[in-house]
Amino acid sequence: MPSDQNGLLIEQIKSANETQQRLAIQGHASKSSWLPVSSSDGVLALDEHSGILQYEPEELVITARSGTSLAEINAVLAKRQQQLSCEPPQLGAGDGTRGSGTLGGAVACGLSGPGRPWLGAVRDAVLGVELINGAGEYLKFGGQVMKNVAGYDVSRLQSGAWGALGVMSVISLRVQPTVAEECTVGASLSVDQSLSLCAQLGQRNLPITASYWQGGDFCLRLAGNQSGVAAACQALADRGLHQRQAEPQLWQQLKDHEHPFFQRPNSDSSSHRLWRVVTPLAATMPDFLTDPDKDALIMWGGGLRWMYHDDAAQVGEYSKAVGGWCWAIGESMPIAAMQRQIMSQLAKAFDPRGVFASPLGIAAVDA
Amino acid sequence: MAKPVAEQGSNVLTQHSAAHRAVLDRLLELLPDDCVITDAAGLRPYETDGLTAIREMPWVVALPETEEQVAAIVVCCAEHGVPVIARGAGTGLSGGARPHQHGVVLGLSKMSEILTVDPENRVARVQPGVRNLAITQAAERHGLYYAPDPSSQIACSIGGNVAENAGGVHCLKYGLTVNNVLGVRMVTAGGEIVELGGAVYDNPGPDLLALLCGSEGMLGIVTEVTVALLPSPETKTVLLAAFSHVVDAGNAVAAIIAAGIIPAGMEMMDKMAVQAAEAFAKAGYPLDAEAILIIELDGADAELATLNDQVTELLRTHGAYRIDEAHDASQQARLWKGRKSAFPAVGRLSPDYLCMDGTIPRKTLPTVLSEIDVISQTFGLAVANVFHAADGNLHPLILFDANVPGQTDKAMAMGAKILEACVAAGGTVTGEHGVGVEKLDTMCVQFTSEELAQFFRLKAALDPQALLNPGKGIPTLTRCGELGGMHVHKGRLPFPELERF
Repeated sequence: MPSDQNGLLIEQIKSANETQQRLAIQGHASKSSWLPVSSSDGVLALDEHSGILQYEPEELVITARSGTSLAEINAVLAKRQQQLSCEPPQLGAGDGTRGSGTLGGAVACGLSGPGRPWLGAVRDAVLGVELINGAGEYLKFGGQVMKNVAGYDVSRLQSGAWGALGVMSVISLRVQPTVAEECTVGASLSVDQSLSLCAQLGQRNLPITASYWQGGDFCLRLAGNQSGVAAACQALADRGLHQRQAEPQLWQQLKDHEHPFFQRPNSDSSSHRLWRVVTPLAATMPDFLTDPDKDALIMWGGGLRWMYHDDAAQVGEYSKAVGGWCWAIGESMPIAAMQRQIMSQLAKAFDPRGVFASPLGIAAVDA
Repeated sequence: MAKPVAEQGSNVLTQHSAAHRAVLDRLLELLPDDCVITDAAGLRPYETDGLTAIREMPWVVALPETEEQVAAIVVCCAEHGVPVIARGAGTGLSGGARPHQHGVVLGLSKMSEILTVDPENRVARVQPGVRNLAITQAAERHGLYYAPDPSSQIACSIGGNVAENAGGVHCLKYGLTVNNVLGVRMVTAGGEIVELGGAVYDNPGPDLLALLCGSEGMLGIVTEVTVALLPSPETKTVLLAAFSHVVDAGNAVAAIIAAGIIPAGMEMMDKMAVQAAEAFAKAGYPLDAEAILIIELDGADAELATLNDQVTELLRTHGAYRIDEAHDASQQARLWKGRKSAFPAVGRLSPDYLCMDGTIPRKTLPTVLSEIDVISQTFGLAVANVFHAADGNLHPLILFDANVPGQTDKAMAMGAKILEACVAAGGTVTGEHGVGVEKLDTMCVQFTSEELAQFFRLKAALDPQALLNPGKGIPTLTRCGELGGMHVHKGRLPFPELERF
């Protein structure tokens, strides 16, 4: 049931200030295994703080309480042929025992979907937030309009903050029209061939909205109006990429981490340490993967590379050398010292007593 | 031309403290003589930015040539408590680069090198003084371009674009600066060099890069920018549609978006703006129209043909009585010329004009326009309206004559009323021009004292001494308190527990 829990949330935060407790902000906890909270005394539950407050398709904006489920938002948008083009993941949707992510969680974690380089990130869609800071003050930043440079961009700053800078109560996101036509083209290619083809095609005016390579199979998602997609399919067929009929689930599986690559069985004796490696699009592949066909999955036109590998030092060195960064799922978020210092200062500015137990570990009391 | 301190005119020595003398000595040590400006003639061009109504002579202008010099200057200023005002090309429209009488203006115009254009990674790495258009020109041979195109793009610099989160006419489809910048290097208020983002599409932690965009030089000084490049569209069409009623034009915009079409650009001009632009640019605009729309569609050839038909049909059914289509580049340039020269054209109608920058939800356009009409009659000053219809960003141009005593103040007061109307409609006081010094008072209308205090704590987290572009962007609570009575935010009383900074 949609309900406004602001009063309760503010009360909990104020009381935590007095008792010096630390609260873990929690929506559906669908990403809790990705970046665990190390220590907290209690939970600030957002899952009942839900409900869509305003949605006018012709304004291309939706405003909802942060605990609203992504599933609900996606369904409401789909009815009006619109979507969140940043495609935030709905983790664990398959197991049916718990929710698959809230709007607040999607923005706080800032994880963007398969279309990131072409369709934008979660932070790009954020237009405004209503935020409760560590002192329990209710603050509004940004709004519901596309262009807004009044004051610092506190709204987009929340993306990736994992709750360290306050708890978002209400969020306005920009939405996009659903495209008329979508299709997938693919070919068998080696990893290097696929990266080089991506780099070439990326410089051309093609309606590409996602890419995939795994185990020698390369796919592109094309989306646009019918004539545009048909013409692009034709042009790509000339490059050896042919239309796939049975790939509707591929992109959803990649978005929600349900692709078989991410379900490595325990019986498999090779590494289970999964890295999310963000690199420049055309960076070369590392040489430490013994079998890239088995241990790597590439998205974002080359910009996002999932890898199974045990040696953290090797992955770290590679990421740094190519100008990217890496994070092992389930382990702490790597943030360089200078940036960490700035983020800690910001956390102190929003939450001076460290009430919010963010898993980023940048709160004043974590230092 | 700067001289050693001993030979300086007595003005600098007498008007400023020992701290200033120390800073000046250090500047002369760090930079070649011609990069430190202290004489009145040399300082004059820096006394204002694009908001020429507000002027102040700087104390000294430093023109660093390297990032190390920027850092060393900031370290020295921090040590002596002297403000630093970063400045790009000085085309900003809100006084964000207005000098500080005791501060160093840090002009970044000499750092104007395009470091790399990397077609495979679709990025360019450039210094902050590089002009916006120069990036596209450098990327063109690869079939790529840099999307944000503020009207001042031939002159404005990318560092300034980041500071202001500059927009342009193609925002709805391609986004603002924040959506197209992937990384920056910046010098912090403490003089440290830090990298935010890079040639990658994702970064860990709170989005500092987004925070920096639009922060008006108050959180750090950008010394390098990595921008995303996009493939240039194969084809473009520009449509001009004329309407007998403003409301019809507004409905046509809503209908196009409701049909799932995101045009590359969609601009509206009201009758006064059309007439001014036509007299100036001879673009062939219909002089009898109450409003016109200029719509740009882009994409691949095949895609565009269908799109063009769809949009034309929607315009017709919503009351467009004339539609011109421009398919070749020169016709398109002609149609755009009127819109792009709307500001100078209005400038010809009137000795002075003030450009507002409110953003409103699109659906409120007819209401807000009629409110502006009433405000205009009340104040007795004419208004021409230019509207980025696609993204709701409204630029009312208030016509006035600064030589008539009291008219400047009247125009400013009228502008504030218009922005209040934008906020009341659910919008914001500035869509793309920034707060600078111009909109400090109207910020009091949009934000509560708690929100403003939070902005100040954020600022203090990155710049504890408040030396980076002080006095801009965020009004002090004292200032808002003194304005009194302006602020009613959702029925809450203004400033129940006013803190004094």
